[in-house]
Amino acid sequence: MTATPAITSARKSPARPGTPKPARASGSLWRRGRRRLLGALAVGIALIWAFPIYWMVNSSFLPHNRIRSTEPTFLPIDGSVAAYQRVLDSGFFSALRTSLTITLITLVAALLFAFLAALALSRFRFRGRTSFIVTVLVIQMIPAEALFISQFKMLEGWQLLNSVLGLSLLYVATVVPFTIWMLRGFVAGVPRELEEAALVDGCSRTQAFFRVTLPLLAPGLVASGVYAFLQAWNEFTLALVIMNRPDSMTLPLWLRTFTDANRVSDWAGIMAGSALIAIPVIIFFLLVQRRMAAGLVSGAVKG
Amino acid sequence: MRTTRVLGAGLAAVALVLAACGSDDGNGDDDANAEAPAASADDDGGDGDDDGNGDAPEPAEIRLWLNGPDTPDSMRDWLVDAFEEQNPGSTLVIEEQQWEGLMDRLTTSLGSTSETPDVVEVGNTQAPTFTTVGAFSDITDLLPELGGDDLLEGFVEAGSAEGRTYAVPLYAGSAYVFYRTDLFDASGLDVPTTMEEFVDAAITLKEDNADVANFSGFWLPGQDWRDGAAFLWDAGGDFAVEENGEWVGALSTPESQAGLELVQRLFEEASGAPRDGNEAEPEVPFCADEIGMMLRPGWVRWSIDNEEIGCPDMMENVGVFALPGSDGQPAPVLLGGSNIAVSANSQNQELATNLVRLILSDDFQRQYPENGLTPAKVSLADGLGDDEFAQATIEAVSNAKLTPAAAAWASVEGSRILEDLFVAIANGGDIEQLASDADAAISAQLN
Amino acid sequence: MASTPHVRGRGAAADSGFSTNPPESAAGPPPAGAPAHRPRRGRRPRAPYVLLIPAIAVLVAALGYPLLRQAVMSFQEFGLAQQFGADPEWVGFDNYATLLTDSYLWSVVAKSIAFCLIVAATTMVVGTALASLMMAVSTGPRLILQITLLLAWAMPHLASLTVWQWLFDSQYGVINWLLTRLGLEQFSGHSWLINPLSFFIVAGIVVVWMSVPFVAFAVYAGLTQVPDELREAAGLDGASGWQRFRLITVPLIRPVLLIVGLLQIIWDLKVFTQIFVLQDAGGITRETNLIGTYIYRLGIGEGQFGMAAAAAWFMLLLTVTLSLYYVRILLREENT
Repeated sequence: MTATPAITSARKSPARPGTPKPARASGSLWRRGRRRLLGALAVGIALIWAFPIYWMVNSSFLPHNRIRSTEPTFLPIDGSVAAYQRVLDSGFFSALRTSLTITLITLVAALLFAFLAALALSRFRFRGRTSFIVTVLVIQMIPAEALFISQFKMLEGWQLLNSVLGLSLLYVATVVPFTIWMLRGFVAGVPRELEEAALVDGCSRTQAFFRVTLPLLAPGLVASGVYAFLQAWNEFTLALVIMNRPDSMTLPLWLRTFTDANRVSDWAGIMAGSALIAIPVIIFFLLVQRRMAAGLVSGAVKG
Repeated sequence: MRTTRVLGAGLAAVALVLAACGSDDGNGDDDANAEAPAASADDDGGDGDDDGNGDAPEPAEIRLWLNGPDTPDSMRDWLVDAFEEQNPGSTLVIEEQQWEGLMDRLTTSLGSTSETPDVVEVGNTQAPTFTTVGAFSDITDLLPELGGDDLLEGFVEAGSAEGRTYAVPLYAGSAYVFYRTDLFDASGLDVPTTMEEFVDAAITLKEDNADVANFSGFWLPGQDWRDGAAFLWDAGGDFAVEENGEWVGALSTPESQAGLELVQRLFEEASGAPRDGNEAEPEVPFCADEIGMMLRPGWVRWSIDNEEIGCPDMMENVGVFALPGSDGQPAPVLLGGSNIAVSANSQNQELATNLVRLILSDDFQRQYPENGLTPAKVSLADGLGDDEFAQATIEAVSNAKLTPAAAAWASVEGSRILEDLFVAIANGGDIEQLASDADAAISAQLN
Repeated sequence: MASTPHVRGRGAAADSGFSTNPPESAAGPPPAGAPAHRPRRGRRPRAPYVLLIPAIAVLVAALGYPLLRQAVMSFQEFGLAQQFGADPEWVGFDNYATLLTDSYLWSVVAKSIAFCLIVAATTMVVGTALASLMMAVSTGPRLILQITLLLAWAMPHLASLTVWQWLFDSQYGVINWLLTRLGLEQFSGHSWLINPLSFFIVAGIVVVWMSVPFVAFAVYAGLTQVPDELREAAGLDGASGWQRFRLITVPLIRPVLLIVGLLQIIWDLKVFTQIFVLQDAGGITRETNLIGTYIYRLGIGEGQFGMAAAAAWFMLLLTVTLSLYYVRILLREENT
């Protein structure tokens, strides 16, 4: 068996992402039943995975003395949103602004730089290519735990302590290696014929890029984008040492202010804060997830 | 504001910074740093113009790092007002730090001339780590003025190295026994006055409440060597001693062995706490009716008495006393607390020492006992009041002890040798063997 | 610059997935040693270098000096005093010698490798399975699963580790509460952490729970690149689901699987936070140390940065050794 999907037209509109594909000829009842069954399985797994998340949300509504007790409270029926009010009034928005700025800089810079590098790696053969690939790989293996001492000194020299740029620079460097590896495969996966066909059809090179190449890269960009976003969003140690002033706190640092190793931590506040921290991540994902839906490529490449 | 500007500049800015990297040229990025310290950095230049107004240092913003909530808001407000009044034009900014992660932050920030806090609080066991390395300014000459012999001795010692003093006490605290008066009545017990009576009471309580799951006559979680230390010390033992200028583990001495055996007996016959748990959140088992007695710091009272956190209804059944020793005097319990020091890299040494003076002034220190903590000065301890909580605090502190004064003690705590030892004891391990292993590990860490 | 036209030698089959990875077994004979395209040497030789500049610049700026300094520090007695300005003393290989002659280190290394391999393999299997499941279901269930996984990934570590600790709490934990309710009285007050094996199982569950989302998302992204036609054609040929997956899908998403698997090995070998937090909650530290916590307690915690730097290089060596097989496959495919 050989499957060689011929490329007919690059501008053939891709199957709308996210929607189920049109029923195939063989779309029998059995097939649909199986799909339902698998759907139920997916939801079941999601429920298991969600239990700790549920417990976080549940705890955020409970008073401190009901969070750990001999009889666990499974439903916060008589709970309150006091913890949310409390944490929202304690500098959440300032930390949110800092974190959003850092995360966006990291996201955009990492994706752009990694895309360019991936282009070089997958479209060209050049001297030093293999060494670069190996270097990128090894960089990911370096234990970074002890590096913060030197990174602090370095940023101090550049007067980039307590600055979003300084921290973003370090974050971009931590996510760029993986992003390069991830995007490399996707860039290589874009059939050059498509771009060429687009050019023949009269698109400008830029148009060809945005109409043809970018949509095909989308799943890779989304997957590495989510990765970059979360790395920058949740990082703690570097932020702890680089951002040592209260007004430059990122969200993870802000969340720590509700802990108290010696006395009583504000658990409800921590859980409420964590739930708030997760919301922008979900919004970001919902905005981009359609780009990652299956069917895009097959739609474009389908003969 | 600077964040939006940075965002606006976007990638161009990233590129710009990268371009600027090689030359160590930070001028263009001044706005990326917080605006405030600019003043302090300039002061350093010392342009002598303002020397006209006497010896007063040039006004600046002083950053003070305080850890956790031990210094309450009312005291912080007082400090800011008083400092700014005494040092016109200067401002005091108090930045609260968390104990967790504090070492990482201190080891980096104290090394920076531009971003160092000016005055910092450190735990008394952390203090020796910094005094020997030049992170703090020498304040030996200030000592008499700050209180001299009136200062808590062990804390001054912890803040000194090679005859010079770099950190002075801020406050201290030690644990006393919280007990359930109703359970004592039900078992026909009186407040114990000796260690022997205390142990008997703990075991009796456990026996009389055997129907309650996880009940502790005396609550002692497996990892809690800090409270277990009292029994070791009361028996005449210690964790480590200095011999011929070298620190060695001392858990194998007969006295220490006796102390550890008592600890094991308490674990087995009196405690229902998890055999490998830590001592966090004692109010949870206490409010669940699972504790007859526990040795805890004074603030636990506020946790119990808090509607959200504890069980205020229980307060009427709560009594306290200082843990009695074998001789009927208060037993030696662990004294915890904090030191305060000036960062050697601070650009405002004079203002920073002014702040330390103010922090150790009677007016400020007097507020610690009002909040249940022992002040840095012995003479102010009677400010604790005269209710039973105050009495227990005063008695407990009167004979309290510090961990061994070895410079590397922090690494014994860091490697959790003592947590492991106590967990093993709680699980019925052989004390002689465990102690000799732990001694070897302690000696290795201390040298 | 993005699309300098090149003449391509081969058909599209190999390229619709990952060009470096022709689906050899299923899609006919592999295009013998032929890469997607082989730009002629010497043509616009500058372009690839220009494209690499931003990435290299960022890596050098953020990591260059710190890594250099870490290398130097590993040969020095570098502690807090040096951090505050004292001159470091050169000690040659002393830091390495101290580290490597500690017999305890090797038992920790053995435990770490076992933990890493088991956890990484579990994560990969579960993650890939969930990614395939996402492909097979309709939008609704897929989104539910994806958002749940994303939440698990996005939950701040402080919160997720606290919650896991609560769930496994010996006296107030939901798990013991449930088991006791089900009549298993022996779980009343049961400590899940005191037994090292049980400790590592709990730690493993927590790590897998946190890492699977990343694997699932990356593999899912890879799967979306596999043309349906390939699988459908195989389906018509009578291949079972598993055969199709193994023979067609896996080869096509191999690059993603390899890099994600490598990352799991790297991360799980130096796992730190989860172990550190659980040790604080219970268990016996000396019996449950893995490399990450051991090195932290050895050096960084007390400010012995020279030692910590030596440990970092040792760990790098260990990681490289452990993943050598992997890296060779990656590079071989890179250079076909």
